[in-house]
Amino acid sequence: MGLNYYQIKKNVLQARKLVIKGTNAAGSGHPGGSFSMAEILGCLFYKHLKFDPNNPQWDDRDRLVLSKGHAAPGLFSNMAVAGYFPESELETLRKLGSKLQGHPDLKCPGVEFCGGSLGTGLSYSIGIALAGKLDSKDYHVYTIIGDGESNEGQVWEAAMTASKYKVDNLTVFLDRNFIQQDSYTERVMPLDEKLGEGDNLSEMWKDASRWKTGDKWRSFGWNVIEVDGHRVEQVDAAVKKANATKGVPTIVISRTIKGKSVEHMEDNPQWHGKAPDPDVVPIINQELDSQFMIAPSIIAGDMTNLENEVKRCAAGRADYIHLDVMDGQFVPNKTFDHAKIKELKPLTVIPFDTHLMINDPVKHVQNYVDAGSDVVTVHAEVTDESSFGEIHDLLKQNQVGVGLAINPDTEFPKWAYKFISLLDQIIVMSVVPGKSGQKYIEATHEKMARLNPILHEHNFSGYVEADGGVNLENIGSIFADGARAFVGGGAIIGQQDVRTAIKDFRYEALKSRRKQLLGKANQLGGSELVNKWIGLHVVGEKQDQIRRIAQEAGFV
Amino acid sequence: MRSEYSRSLIQLGQDNPNIVVLGADTTDSLKTSYFGREFPDRFFNVGIAEANLVTISAGLAASGKISFASTYAIFLPGRAVDQIRNNIAYPSPSGKKGLDVKLVVSHGGLSVGPDGGSHQQVEDIAIMRAIPNFRVFIPADTVAVSKLTRLMANKYGPFYMRMARSKTPLVHFESQEFNMGKGITVRDGIDCTIAACGITVRMALEAAESLQQDGISCRVLDMFSIKPIDDEILEKAARETGCIVTTEEHNIFGGLGSAVAESVSESYPVPIKRIGVQDTFGESARDNEIPLLLEKHGITSINIAKQVKELRNKKL
Repeated sequence: MGLNYYQIKKNVLQARKLVIKGTNAAGSGHPGGSFSMAEILGCLFYKHLKFDPNNPQWDDRDRLVLSKGHAAPGLFSNMAVAGYFPESELETLRKLGSKLQGHPDLKCPGVEFCGGSLGTGLSYSIGIALAGKLDSKDYHVYTIIGDGESNEGQVWEAAMTASKYKVDNLTVFLDRNFIQQDSYTERVMPLDEKLGEGDNLSEMWKDASRWKTGDKWRSFGWNVIEVDGHRVEQVDAAVKKANATKGVPTIVISRTIKGKSVEHMEDNPQWHGKAPDPDVVPIINQELDSQFMIAPSIIAGDMTNLENEVKRCAAGRADYIHLDVMDGQFVPNKTFDHAKIKELKPLTVIPFDTHLMINDPVKHVQNYVDAGSDVVTVHAEVTDESSFGEIHDLLKQNQVGVGLAINPDTEFPKWAYKFISLLDQIIVMSVVPGKSGQKYIEATHEKMARLNPILHEHNFSGYVEADGGVNLENIGSIFADGARAFVGGGAIIGQQDVRTAIKDFRYEALKSRRKQLLGKANQLGGSELVNKWIGLHVVGEKQDQIRRIAQEAGFV
Repeated sequence: MRSEYSRSLIQLGQDNPNIVVLGADTTDSLKTSYFGREFPDRFFNVGIAEANLVTISAGLAASGKISFASTYAIFLPGRAVDQIRNNIAYPSPSGKKGLDVKLVVSHGGLSVGPDGGSHQQVEDIAIMRAIPNFRVFIPADTVAVSKLTRLMANKYGPFYMRMARSKTPLVHFESQEFNMGKGITVRDGIDCTIAACGITVRMALEAAESLQQDGISCRVLDMFSIKPIDDEILEKAARETGCIVTTEEHNIFGGLGSAVAESVSESYPVPIKRIGVQDTFGESARDNEIPLLLEKHGITSINIAKQVKELRNKKL
């Protein structure tokens, strides 16, 4: 489909909601493993996979084999979003007469492999890939295997075979979520190393020196790429690298989190194969709708060494990097232009969020596309319906996200209403643009309150980005206003330890989100539902933290 | 039988570029390696990895190939039943039943000989009959092997064909036709029917010959198509001869004897005697001792004749 970063994320979100819808309607199913592979499937379906939902048997289609078949809701949801069948069909999941069986089945046109019995999908994929080579087809086979599934010996039989026959039209994703049915993989059957009593899984997740799975595959003769499987940009880069690798098969070892995006499901083995209760579904949906991103603004760092600032952002695990382009005309200051962005782009795969504070953006936007921007935001003050329309079309054609920014003294312009549903990002400036280090303008809160109904009315589905003076003290209230992307200047990039600063930003936004969700629970079911919601959070310290928030808010 | 299988594959491979052949380190023994020499691109030896063998065959078939996967009986149904069921039989592309994979094994039954009980598969027919969408053949001689290999290649869907290890004398003429689900009357008679398959067809004919000298007229059926079974020929045999002895080198549970009993009991019940392995395992026997091993399990022309005589007394 060739969608941009934001659209992929949007579709991934929609697919996650459908997983909840389907498993809830079925009363059973596997949300955990559907969520851990969500970004992998999203990146394949909406960017790389060649397919035609109206002709599922198209000879030259790429093949997607879901070997970890229990994650069928994840596959079906993406197929619905991709247009194979109506989204409402998810309600028939696991029911008598449905083509959406408990495990993927050829009964559903577009499904390539009847999964369920684990350990076989890789061999099957090799068969498909070999047939493609025999027929001189250039289709590619993408296969998702699980880490629990890797206990099966046949996986390793297949690993040897793919290597022997140089099956390079095959790319495997290992959904490394560290959880299988009974418990953590490293307890049941370690792939990396045995997890001892009291040993913390999340520590292992983060500590690359403890990962041995890649070595196993390398020793079987495979090209191994390791990524964070929830980072669309990393998965995307891995697919490109895999497709360019000839003569050997590739495996992308994707570290993921079971149940990702719903806090109480994350890293919780209970959610391997269980459906959520109907009364919490609305809260879960709100949680899914409230994902957020942190973007350091590199102009707040050392302008003489932006290369290093980009590296610090990458090391700090920024979601994306905010680049303020100032031309000395639209704003008094000058920063850098597209040439600099082009230089910086190869340093990281993290998306570049280019904020053009320049006059006449329509004349220059192509340069910023060519420089490698993943989203380009232009200012409403220097565009109109016609020029913005042109900018929008250009960006969309190039798979670049589309953003519109408004200054503190600008109201969201009426001419732009018609674009709202098409926008990936709206930047609501909370300082006067032009330089970093200013204080957040409090009136922005009221402005957001005015803006939200307009966005809602016009079906906005992108991110509102808060830009200017965002810090640990105010990020919670800005989140509550509806912002879902947060640009951090001095408060992030100005800090010695970018990673900790970003982590702290995340935690403050998370607290705000938790409070909103508790509010939703309270509204829907009073203290009983609030308590149920709190009780679902059993992993780590979440429960105590959430209970404290509920107490402070007077919900319990 | 293996040589004939190999020759047939090469002929078929010349005519049809979609035929692929897979093996699991027994390709010299199965003689499929000759196909590999002829068509190296269409031949895959996956090593001693039978589960992998089955599933890769399925993947190829899912992409338009006709896969012939071969090794010894004990290593296919005996080892990879999950893959056979879930990767070949179960996946049914629109309008079709199962994938286009032919599992052709050698070394079925007791006549494997010296390798012993661990290698003498006496359960495969029961296993394969129970899997939906699979058709099951047991050829009696090289004529059958050749014709059935061709039949399988030309007919879509999953098949299991079980060959014997030992050299088998011819029981069919070159002109014999083989149709799926149709047994063959290799000798007509009116007093009793012997339903046989594989190497026991020859024994049945010998038994019928000796019974003839005692004035008993035996019908002999080659029930090479165990599934689908020929209900019609069995019902006719039941009506016309009044009793049926079955014989096979397989456990009496779930094999030809069971299939015949199931069919006849629903169409025209008559007394039936099942000759075969009596729910036990085989053991080693040198090649020249194989007849003695079979004799231990009652699988001889003499025992067949004896059972026919006893069964005639139980006729209704």
